[in-house]
Amino acid sequence: MAIEAINEQLLRAVGVGVALFDGEGQTLSFRNDVFESWFEEAEPGISLPALFPTLDVEAVRAALAEGRRYATETTFRKKRRTIVIAQTFSRAIIGDEPVLVLECQNISRIRELESMIESYSNMVERNTREIQREKEQVEKLLLNIMPRAAYEEYKSFGVVAPQKYEAVTVMVLDFIDFAAASQRLAPASFVGELNELYSAFDRIGEQFACERIKTTGDTYLCIAGMHDPGMDHAAAVANAAIRFIRYLERRNANAETAWRCRIGIATGPVVGSVVGVQKYVYDVFGPAVNEAAAARDRAAAMEALVTGAAAALLAEGPALTAPSGAGAAAAGLRALSAV
Amino acid sequence: MNQKTLYEKYGGFAQINRIVMAFYDGLLDSDEVGPYFDDVDMKRLIDHQTKFVAALMGGPAEFGDDHLRRAHASLGITDAHFDEMKAILGGTLADHGVAAEDVATVLAAIESRRGLVVA
Repeated sequence: MAIEAINEQLLRAVGVGVALFDGEGQTLSFRNDVFESWFEEAEPGISLPALFPTLDVEAVRAALAEGRRYATETTFRKKRRTIVIAQTFSRAIIGDEPVLVLECQNISRIRELESMIESYSNMVERNTREIQREKEQVEKLLLNIMPRAAYEEYKSFGVVAPQKYEAVTVMVLDFIDFAAASQRLAPASFVGELNELYSAFDRIGEQFACERIKTTGDTYLCIAGMHDPGMDHAAAVANAAIRFIRYLERRNANAETAWRCRIGIATGPVVGSVVGVQKYVYDVFGPAVNEAAAARDRAAAMEALVTGAAAALLAEGPALTAPSGAGAAAAGLRALSAV
Repeated sequence: MNQKTLYEKYGGFAQINRIVMAFYDGLLDSDEVGPYFDDVDMKRLIDHQTKFVAALMGGPAEFGDDHLRRAHASLGITDAHFDEMKAILGGTLADHGVAAEDVATVLAAIESRRGLVVA
């Protein structure tokens, strides 16, 4: 078989569409069956611009003149399918004549798969965003019931090991006539008041690095120094206590319901832990908690009493005075001067 | 406890994508339902099929009843066309190794939405 005949057989057998044009695309001289199946108008003699009216023939010629290949795509519908054909134009010399070679590959499936991947990615990304949002909600909720350090531990290990903090300062606060107020006010406004008060305490506490551990009814408990042992925790809690009282005084001047608090402050060791298996609560236990509660019990309205150990740390902090109650003085407690 | 979805059981999207493409081919090649897609953009149709198959198998997509009703409202789809689509999907799932009882589950889920799709 002559070499030309072999070449032609080859061109017919390959899976890509091949067409040859004489000169620079003047007339089609050959196309294989694959090419013909895609471009039915590709009769011998048709010119390149006539076959592909939207093709930028000048750009093809310019690229070929510079010795480059020219690649583009053409799209058409065939029995409701979108067919995408990648076209590559190159130049060859057959005999002594220049020939323009057009190779075509059906890349419809690639485009379809790309569309599917895009659709799937969008779906997954949307889901990821939703999961992220839910995760943030859960985190927010858990951070409400335990300190961040405990939460981080819980996230990493699934449990929070009880931990002893050797020296922290605890503040325990409650309200005078709380039970009476809970009866007098409508439930919604009572809870609204409580929310407002506790939120204000949280905000003030945050400024002094005091962490609210829990509220039980009218008892608000916060601590400084748990996660930053180097800090001046007694001064932090004392300063927060002074601002709590100031906040209440200012609020009482204008509000319908006046709230008067009692505050006890103690320094000492506590143990912090998550308690419960199904229903978690982060809680603290220990001498400092008990002493702060006992000091609170002896405090008069709008008074903050400090234990001896806490007072010893307040040498340079807020000023201390004698407590208003004789019992408190006898118990060795000192009062925070609000000035 | 969460039950494993069919989507997970059959290998997630790594496997399900073959079902999507085969179902797409099946619909376009069908002379019964194919004409509905004569003028539908390829990207849109693929997007729809990807979500549709994922939703059917319990994957990361959901089709609300309202969405289905609106999408098919103006198409005048008949019971015969709906049956043909179900047959194509059932065949496609079986061809890709989905167990008979799981195919039945998927087809039952589709059947329950017939009223939303058929005019």
